Amino acid sequence: MGEYVLEVRNLEKYYGQNKVLDKVSLSVRKGEICGLIGANGSGKSTLMNILFGNSIIAGTGGYSGDVVFEGEKVQISTTTEAIGRGIGMIYQEFMLIPEMTVAENIKLTRENTKRIFGRALGSELSYVDWKKDSEDAAAVLEQLGFQIDNSYLVKNISVNAKQFVEIAREVNKQDLKLLLLDEPTAVLNDEDAGKLMKVLKELAKKGTSIIFCSHRLHEICEVCDHVTVLRDGKAVSDYGREELDMRALARDMIGYDVTAVKKERRNQEKKAVLSFRDFSVYMPGEFLDRLNLEVYEGEILGLTSLSGHGKLAAGYGVMGQFPVMGEFLYGGASMDVKNVRKTIEHGIFLLPDDRKNMGLLLEHSVRDNIVFSGFYGRNLFQKKAGYIFSVKDKKEIERYVKEQIEKLDIKCGSPDQKVKELSGGNQQKVCIARAVLVAPKVLFVMEPTRGVDIGAKEKILDMLVQINREQGTTIVVASSELEELKRISDRIAVFCEGRLSQILPPDASDEEFAFAFTGEEGEDGQ
Amino acid sequence: MMKKVRKDELIVPVTFIVFSILCFFLSGISFMFLAEQVALRFIRNIILVLALIFPIMAGMGLNFAVVIGTMITQASFIIVLNFNLTGGRGAALVLAVSLVAAAGVGCVIGRLLNKVRGREMVTSIVVGFLANYIYQLIFVAGFGTVIHVFNKKLVLSTGIGVKNMVDLKTFKEVFDNLGVFRIGEAKISMLLLAMIIVCGFFVFYLMRTPLGQKIRAVGMSEGKSANIGIDTDRIRVIVIVLSTVLAALGQFVYLQNIGSLNVYTEHLDTEKFACAALLAGGASIRKAGVKNAFIGVVLLHTLFVLSPLAGRNAFANASLGEYFRSFVAYGIIAFALVVNLRLERKGE
Repeated sequence: MGEYVLEVRNLEKYYGQNKVLDKVSLSVRKGEICGLIGANGSGKSTLMNILFGNSIIAGTGGYSGDVVFEGEKVQISTTTEAIGRGIGMIYQEFMLIPEMTVAENIKLTRENTKRIFGRALGSELSYVDWKKDSEDAAAVLEQLGFQIDNSYLVKNISVNAKQFVEIAREVNKQDLKLLLLDEPTAVLNDEDAGKLMKVLKELAKKGTSIIFCSHRLHEICEVCDHVTVLRDGKAVSDYGREELDMRALARDMIGYDVTAVKKERRNQEKKAVLSFRDFSVYMPGEFLDRLNLEVYEGEILGLTSLSGHGKLAAGYGVMGQFPVMGEFLYGGASMDVKNVRKTIEHGIFLLPDDRKNMGLLLEHSVRDNIVFSGFYGRNLFQKKAGYIFSVKDKKEIERYVKEQIEKLDIKCGSPDQKVKELSGGNQQKVCIARAVLVAPKVLFVMEPTRGVDIGAKEKILDMLVQINREQGTTIVVASSELEELKRISDRIAVFCEGRLSQILPPDASDEEFAFAFTGEEGEDGQ
Repeated sequence: MMKKVRKDELIVPVTFIVFSILCFFLSGISFMFLAEQVALRFIRNIILVLALIFPIMAGMGLNFAVVIGTMITQASFIIVLNFNLTGGRGAALVLAVSLVAAAGVGCVIGRLLNKVRGREMVTSIVVGFLANYIYQLIFVAGFGTVIHVFNKKLVLSTGIGVKNMVDLKTFKEVFDNLGVFRIGEAKISMLLLAMIIVCGFFVFYLMRTPLGQKIRAVGMSEGKSANIGIDTDRIRVIVIVLSTVLAALGQFVYLQNIGSLNVYTEHLDTEKFACAALLAGGASIRKAGVKNAFIGVVLLHTLFVLSPLAGRNAFANASLGEYFRSFVAYGIIAFALVVNLRLERKGE
């Protein structure tokens, strides 16, 4: 093996008070494929962003530690610089311009040009040679073993194809020295993922070094020369090619034995409390298409999908936030979703994913936020002053708020502190405290752990389970964090392209979930 | 979906054509007179409209700050005249000074707009206002006090402040002597016509170079472009520089053709009418091309020529047409903004 292309030493990175990378060291040789695995929030993406000079890193205070690229200590501050040094990156959410064609996207920033005016204007100002670009693009797609007409606009092609276009763009770079891949196979089916593995191996043979992030352990084991496992921002272990073992990787990744996650199955009466009948929600970016689903009383139901595939739409549809079609039944009676007040009075409550804009009164105190829904929606904490006016029962509020702050471990200076000054995790805890107060029959929770640090995550998940067990609240959690859903849910409904693709038990295998995510089941081949 | 968008693009131009035909019959003027008037206004206006295309393609909306480019040219004319430079040398100097100054100022505006991402249009309007008052301050109060007057013909009898009207015939003659092109009574210098053709081709060509591809990419998705490795700040500054320079060139052609300069009012509202023309040609604040500019200038000015005459004939009131002009200009800007919001929401 050749010399080191990349060495990372003692990398540390904070987001605010939150340490996301803790003394991470990593080295990659020329022509080597390095696997990088870790659960969500373990710091993989942050590490990638640092290496690729993403502006988010500089914008949040930079990092400490050394990055040595080709023997030279570097501080990459822009993506332009990273690309100039021969680093490429393939993102999980595509960096493709939707209004441009496949060929244009592949050749963007590296167009072939015709020199109509000779050399006078330089390559930036020469006429783009569309035909040559198209040929180049076709050639590189051919090399990847993927066929698509490269005159299509990218917005009109499938997710699968987009991933290949993105890969083609990087592979087409002549001087690519290091390629970073962030979950490139998440949206691919097994056949296409196999093609990608082949391409990666060929690239590595030609001398490109690769850092490959994936959840799919068997892929990691298949292609990687060595694997680093990240957990909670620390590099916990490093395996060579010979030592790779899926079970060991999984254990290091999660921090305890996988079998421990399984929680005891409860025998529940299957009594439907909510029923969706051909329920469509026209939510921009999260279209839900004719959902038929029963939610059983007292269960925790997980809803998941890739982003934009419909997991959030059901909850918002029920709360009348977007136009809907079809029927929604509560306890057997049809409900009018437009009448949100009535829905809340029936005991259906929703904690939105966009906490800052929809879930909290940012300028108000922690206290106000916790009691708001209970006070106005449920007429709690009210006493009669002079037998006529209802006024706030301040003493009672104070007691309750104190209790909740303690119970949920909300880190705030005092109940008077403004909510906008709290961290994301603590804001979410405030939301949950508010939901607990109104004691809903059914609670929709949207992305409860998004943007929340690891400690708070556990607390929030615990709290959800507790509400479910103690108050008997039926909970519907929409989340993209599959691992978390597996831990708390009784059933997990997986959506793909707005359709319910499968309902799986939490102990279903990763493959089953992967199939459900990509909607493989019930569709032939394509 | 595609068909819908096309229909939205056509609404404005079709409305203009219908109104124009109606006004043509009401006004009762000859077609030749109309062609002559429209051709003149086309020559005077087209480059300013072309100047708006790059910022739109880069996702920065209508660049109302083009008015600053026009002021720079006017200032250059006055300064060059102040040094008693006339004829061909003077004209060349005016052109050189205004283009260089416009590039510099464009660079500053570009950086400013980079700091107010997402609110470029409003900012460009306010910056335009600010520049207007600085300009007026310089020529009302600065001339004869801070700035030494070499050419007494320029200033008022008190010795302070530039006259309302400045004669540019000495420059106009240079261009007219190099050959003119006649439509009816109207004389159009061949050289100016050549400049216009070059500008049109330049915009068309530039959008098809690697730089143009980057501008389009930034306009469609800035975040993604940055992640692909495009320096979006740089592209946006380049775009505003090009826009300001083209605007300065546009005003040069305009003043050359008129042959006189209304120091304090010539530039007022030019940017709004330019925006209106581009939108009339079927552009939106997200998408515009050379085609839109050419069609739009013809349509807008046809209506502008006809509406006062039609107003006089139909309602015995010529001033009605004047109001109608402003109504049309602001009306279509407002309309385009609304249509655009709707399209954007649909696209999400």
